[in-house]
Amino acid sequence: MKKILLVCNAGMSTSMLVAKMKKAAEAKGADVSIEAKSLSEAKAEISEADIVLLGPQIRYELNNVKKIAGSVPVEAIDMRDYGMMNGEKVLAHAMEVMGA
Amino acid sequence: MGNSKLVDKFTMFASKLGNEVHLRSLRDAFATIMPLYILAGLAVLINNTVFQWLLSGDTLTNAQYWGTLIVNGTLNISSLLIAPVIGYMLSQNKGYENPLAAAVISLAALVVMMPNTVTVTPVGAEEGVLVQGALTFGNVGTGAMFAGVIIGIVATEIFVWISSIKRLKINLGDSIPPAVGKSFNVLIPFILVMSGFAIISAVLNNVFHTDLIQIITAMIQEPLRTATTGLAGCIILYSLGNFLWLLGIHQSVIYSSILEPLLIVNMTANMAAYAAGQAIPNIINVAFVPAFGLLGGSGSTICLLIATFLVGRNAATKNVSKMALVPGIFNINEPVIFGYPIVYNVSMLIPFVLTPAMGIIVAYLATSLNFMNRCVVYIPWTTPPLLSGYLATAGDWRAILVQALILVLGVLIYIPFVKINDIVMEKTMASE
Repeated sequence: MKKILLVCNAGMSTSMLVAKMKKAAEAKGADVSIEAKSLSEAKAEISEADIVLLGPQIRYELNNVKKIAGSVPVEAIDMRDYGMMNGEKVLAHAMEVMGA
Repeated sequence: MGNSKLVDKFTMFASKLGNEVHLRSLRDAFATIMPLYILAGLAVLINNTVFQWLLSGDTLTNAQYWGTLIVNGTLNISSLLIAPVIGYMLSQNKGYENPLAAAVISLAALVVMMPNTVTVTPVGAEEGVLVQGALTFGNVGTGAMFAGVIIGIVATEIFVWISSIKRLKINLGDSIPPAVGKSFNVLIPFILVMSGFAIISAVLNNVFHTDLIQIITAMIQEPLRTATTGLAGCIILYSLGNFLWLLGIHQSVIYSSILEPLLIVNMTANMAAYAAGQAIPNIINVAFVPAFGLLGGSGSTICLLIATFLVGRNAATKNVSKMALVPGIFNINEPVIFGYPIVYNVSMLIPFVLTPAMGIIVAYLATSLNFMNRCVVYIPWTTPPLLSGYLATAGDWRAILVQALILVLGVLIYIPFVKINDIVMEKTMASE
């Protein structure tokens, strides 16, 4: 099972996107676990994730998070997809990056 | 707007600011401590409302002891809490391998800077007496919070720097358990940092008859606080933070590093005064700003949503507004920011920055004209509007009226810009 970790400031706005992504994952039958965490909580769990997605409002943290993540891919979520809470698009992109 | 060089430069600057290690560590540290302050606010609220409704006499006094204890464990040890946490965060963010040691040294250095002889007033007495060997709430509480931050940062910086000097490292070899090796590794930096701080503290005490806590509070905290949390300073900084949202960057880059800590200082002073039954000093504080400037989220976007429902014609924005309504009630508005969108949208610039500023000014006027009580409860920023005003002012129903007024004015401000945005979006779609 691949683990997708979404990160934003407080973990609240990303949790809405997570719900939509979970729905999309179910429809696809994808074997993924998707979680939203705040930045400070996420730092402890990054090594266990298969991909880390940052809310675009904290994309300035990208380099920092990449350093902590090591080999785990880290990306900032596309602003439009985030705004429209497009769970399918974000999930599809994540799956592509993870090579799943 | 998204393509101009100036905007790009500002975005880069904001990103650099957001990444700056001290500001980031400050944000992390306050985020860790915040639940304690929210609890303190709740405790003070219950002490002064619920308990007073249900109990009286000796039972009341005994019950209120509960609230007093919570205040002791939170507000009254603010600097003891913040110094080690910021030491930990800063050293961790700098990649230092032993952040716990940095936390320890920050706390120790803080206490070193406190005077050995303090004045306390015995229970029932009128005058203070000098005692030795005591830490007073005055020196470890909210008044010294800034000193805690500064000493925490300075001590950690020096500690990490000295630790990186290879010549000073004591290496015991690989056969020694790591924990023991670690504690020896930090021995010399500990000794140097502590002695250095103690020398400064001693000089301040013996030659100048003061201590660093007093100096920092009087010469740094107070001027900074009155400048940034005064009406003008607060509006400027807050608006700058809101402007960042238009670039798609979380306002916390400016707000949580610069404005919020000082707003928290104001808040804790209010909470302590409320708990002691004294006059509440600060109108502008960390509960006031979101209660009156963040209705539905940054930019007071619940007003935008309502305006869109009233006069909006564009199907896309109406759709986004419907979807964003429920989180918006809890002041979460990223769907609006990125979906409406607010980001890179010139039409939204003016109302997004103006409405919160208007809210703060209206609420400030209402408070100074004594129409509304000052905020004394540290409510979570996700508290829905109308409820937030009521709770923050410890149950002043007039706060609900003020919030309702701000809401109406906000909708009126947003209406023309919703119309402009509709026209712009139509034109853009037609030309695509």
